[in-house]
Amino acid sequence: MEPPDPTDEELVRRTQAGDARAFDELVLRFSPRLYGLVYHMTSSHEDTNDLLQDIFSKAYRSIKGFQGKSTFYTWMHTIAVNMAINFLKKRNRRKTTSLDDEDNGLINDPDFIAATSQGDPSRDVNLGELQKKLNESMQKLSHEHRAVVTMFDIQGMPHSEISKVLKISEGTVRSRLFYAHRQLQNYLKEFINT
Amino acid sequence: MDNADSISKLLRLKRYEQPSEEYFQNFLLEFQNRQRSEVIHRPLLQIAWDRCSSLFDLVSMPRLVMASSFAAAVIAAAFVWNPADNAPSTLTIASTGLASLPGPKAQLSSGKTGSAVQYVLPAKPVSYASARSF
Repeated sequence: MEPPDPTDEELVRRTQAGDARAFDELVLRFSPRLYGLVYHMTSSHEDTNDLLQDIFSKAYRSIKGFQGKSTFYTWMHTIAVNMAINFLKKRNRRKTTSLDDEDNGLINDPDFIAATSQGDPSRDVNLGELQKKLNESMQKLSHEHRAVVTMFDIQGMPHSEISKVLKISEGTVRSRLFYAHRQLQNYLKEFINT
Repeated sequence: MDNADSISKLLRLKRYEQPSEEYFQNFLLEFQNRQRSEVIHRPLLQIAWDRCSSLFDLVSMPRLVMASSFAAAVIAAAFVWNPADNAPSTLTIASTGLASLPGPKAQLSSGKTGSAVQYVLPAKPVSYASARSF
């Protein structure tokens, strides 16, 4: 029988004690989730890759200061969101790219089918068009609103967790979501089922 | 259907915009290479700063205090490392040149230690001396 996977906290303790392999495990464990977080904020795979490297470097350098007041998950997300927002503030250009050839699962998603062609010519759009439109709409949101939408709508994080990551109240999270959704409704009118 | 729900459903489709598992394996390799090269190429001052940051993080010191302490430490270290023993030797070199010059611009006297050099300057600054003397 295989031993159970070590918990995040255990891997953190081992990293703090100088075990670099434990941090490698944390990188493998967290990179897919943090990739999503950063990518949906930047809409650029190239920027996401570079930024994610910086995020893990920063986490590795600071891990000795991690005292476990929050979960490692929250701590990592806080670093990632702050660095992504700082990056976006510095970035002047707005470039959006999509992963047309890597999201095969999307075609079979019932929400995608419902949102696209249903015999209604006005909604007869293809995958690329929907992704482009979604990315463009996200880029029109402010950095702070985009962060909340990414964590809540795309990553499925609860309000309480988002408030810890962003160090704001749950009320502020809800209000940011409300305004962001209202803005997105205008941009994505043609895809919304009414 | 509620519009907010529709928006949420649409946004959830973005979850599929994720690279393959292979990408994340390569990402780890890239991270490891980068870490190694950072360790090799990091300047000494940055290593010292990071060590201080980690130390002060443990005692929850505010960042401003930490920066001030670090600056004070760097200045103190500069004073300590400044080779005080070099000063007399510099003076010796300078004084050798001066001693060979004619006139009372500087008189050299060696103290009991033998290595200390003392300048005895005239009471009147040289520049105040009259250009013409009769």
